[in-house]
Amino acid sequence: MPLIKDGAFITDTFTRVADADALPAGPAIVSLTRFLAERAVLLSRTAPLGVRIGSHETPDVLGADVLHLAVVELSFPKFRDGRGYSSARVLRDRLGYRGEVRAVGEVLRDQWLFMQRCGVDAFEVREGTRLEDFSAALGEQTVFYQRSADGVPDVFALRQRKRLSTALAAE
Amino acid sequence: MYRYDEFDQRAVDERVAQFAGQVARRLSGELTEDAFKPLRLMNGLYLQLHAYMLRVAIPYGTLSSRQLHKLAHIARRFDKGYGHFTTRQNLQYNWPKLAEVPEILRALAAVEMHAIQTSGNCIRNVTSDQFAGAAADEVEDPRIWSEIIRQWSTFHPEFSFLPRKFKIAVTAAPKDRAAIKVHDIGIVIRKGAAGVNVFDVWVGGGQGRTPIIGQLIGEGIAAEDLLAYLEATMRVYNQHGRRDNIYKARIKILVHQIGATEMRRQVEAEFAEVKAKGAVVVPPDEIARIAAYFRPPAFETLFDADLSAARRDAGFAAWHDINVARHKVPGYAIVTVSLKPIGGIPGDASADQMDLVAELARAYSFDEIRVSHEQNLVLAHVRQRDLPELWRRLEAAGLGSANHGLISDIIACPGLDYCDLANARSISIAQAISQRFAALERQRAIGELKIKISGCINACGHHHVGHIGILGVDKKGVEFYQITLGGSGDETTSIGEILGPAFGEADVPDAIEALVDAYFALRQDGERFLDTYRRVGIQPFREKLYASH
Amino acid sequence: MLQVLTANRLLDGAAVYLAPNGAWVETLEGARVFDSKADAEAALQVGVEAERRLVIVHAYLFDVVQAGDQVKPVKQREVIRAAGPTVRRDLGKQAAA
Repeated sequence: MPLIKDGAFITDTFTRVADADALPAGPAIVSLTRFLAERAVLLSRTAPLGVRIGSHETPDVLGADVLHLAVVELSFPKFRDGRGYSSARVLRDRLGYRGEVRAVGEVLRDQWLFMQRCGVDAFEVREGTRLEDFSAALGEQTVFYQRSADGVPDVFALRQRKRLSTALAAE
Repeated sequence: MYRYDEFDQRAVDERVAQFAGQVARRLSGELTEDAFKPLRLMNGLYLQLHAYMLRVAIPYGTLSSRQLHKLAHIARRFDKGYGHFTTRQNLQYNWPKLAEVPEILRALAAVEMHAIQTSGNCIRNVTSDQFAGAAADEVEDPRIWSEIIRQWSTFHPEFSFLPRKFKIAVTAAPKDRAAIKVHDIGIVIRKGAAGVNVFDVWVGGGQGRTPIIGQLIGEGIAAEDLLAYLEATMRVYNQHGRRDNIYKARIKILVHQIGATEMRRQVEAEFAEVKAKGAVVVPPDEIARIAAYFRPPAFETLFDADLSAARRDAGFAAWHDINVARHKVPGYAIVTVSLKPIGGIPGDASADQMDLVAELARAYSFDEIRVSHEQNLVLAHVRQRDLPELWRRLEAAGLGSANHGLISDIIACPGLDYCDLANARSISIAQAISQRFAALERQRAIGELKIKISGCINACGHHHVGHIGILGVDKKGVEFYQITLGGSGDETTSIGEILGPAFGEADVPDAIEALVDAYFALRQDGERFLDTYRRVGIQPFREKLYASH
Repeated sequence: MLQVLTANRLLDGAAVYLAPNGAWVETLEGARVFDSKADAEAALQVGVEAERRLVIVHAYLFDVVQAGDQVKPVKQREVIRAAGPTVRRDLGKQAAA
């Protein structure tokens, strides 16, 4: 499936490994369950490591371990299942995670912007998705009333800036 | 009232453009109905029995004259000349064409209105007290924080795909005119210990299939913490609300299941994190900016008017007694404009009526109209001496019914006449009851009696909190009506009790008569219907009702 | 059991019925009546195709009974869909009739 990151298609170098399968030598993504069970072994590998968080799971349990992960995959099995948005925000805000947060599953056009604002920076999209549609979708809204993980200032912050600069100009 | 700044306007304009794009993609086939449906729902567009239905947001039920004129214009130009005011203070159009919806939204955007988040599994319209800014018992205007919450909840990236819809109501008075305890989150603003206003956050109320009264989860929250507290509550719900069964997906089920203590613990834990980093900060300057829009209008200094001459007209006197409430400022009054004429469709208003009320608001009430969750309109700041002329003009347009809170002031959802979800008609039941009890003297003798009718278990008619609640059900293809007693949506919130076996359509007015007769037989001095029920219980009513069966 | 295939028209959401000639008509009088389960099930496919071709959405079958030379829906919901709101006889299809 195509993977979009930083506005471009990228090759996915990671292998998703089922719980029962042996780990490959290269970059690997394992389930949260497996990570918690084989944590020491997994963290001792040198190849990049990723963890997949199911929509019924939350990333809190990873704690400081996230800082060793190259990728965290968040599963959106149906677009209606919005739990991954909270997981993304917890990863960024609470756990301070700076690596790749990848949305997988039913990752459709009208969710991309919300996902990005929650901290997702990689999107596994449907076959045939065009980059111009992707950037168009992300540009459809420019006004945000909430704090977001992507650092874009919210309306309240912008209003405050305007107030301050007006006040300064008046002096 | 609040006026958009450049950011608010751009947000709405962008949304219109986005939806226009989505409609185009739908009409070209690029979007299937399955993919389009959640998108149209987030813009308040339903597909009902006869046509699409567009639900326009009326934030905390407040409209300017200009906006109401525009709603009338849209009704004429794009619909069939009328609209329906709902139990969530919104307006519904029943006949828009899909390809014209973007144009309707553009017309709304031109007057700072929209249909954003009036459907879908997101945070819906924030409702509030229709007497805000006029009632003597409020500690501040609840619409200030209603507006802040509206902005905070608009296009919230984390909470747009919740397990289910989410409804928030805000009041700021001991008397609850917004039914906050049957909302997913109900907020009461009150005086705190230090004399500063604080926020009580009630969580997990709701009606529908499983009516539940909300529980106090956050007590005395400070203003600067409110949004973080709401974010925390929403996150707990988003993560832990059920997603396997749509009938068990509201936050009320979660709170009921884990209990208030555990809910509070989880919310507080999340709140601690969110406060540290996460929630948007609304600076005091910004709160002041928004609050300024809700400053009292330029009231004149008046004495209470002497209306004894005008009251010689019995019609005016009745309306003056029943539809006019005390205003906190001497010489002024709060007027409830009834949208419940005898035999009419509760909550419906023609385009002409909308234009008239808009005009009257401009002439008599500082340009402002409110919509109540009981499907009436309110002119909140009318000079008492203008009441006779106002009434005459309302009466001439079929808007002068003197029945606020009386038996013919019925709340009814659209029901099976319009709604895809309904099992039975509700409007026709309302009409039959209204006609049976048309005589004003009899209505006044009965006193306050709130009948609420829903055409299905979703309870959009709020029947669970009706003094008499009526629920339409389908029994083997025939419409039947189950009657409940003793519900209330005020600060003494209670859920109605089922009386017994359901009634056929033709038997409902007789059933109501039996209940009213029981009340007359049992009541003590000054007791309203609800009070008598609360004193004697359901049994005497049940006996009277089923005596002949 | 007799059945009719109905849907909402995409453009205006109006309740429409599959007619014998394959068109989607507004009145129940013009609808094709299926008296065999096999024919009715096959008609669902017509509905799926019509949705794909952007004519209608959400086609489904509902039961009717013979009433003289017409058919009448079994469910009240379909009676109302066929005519219009009972409380506004001046609106919907009943108004044009």
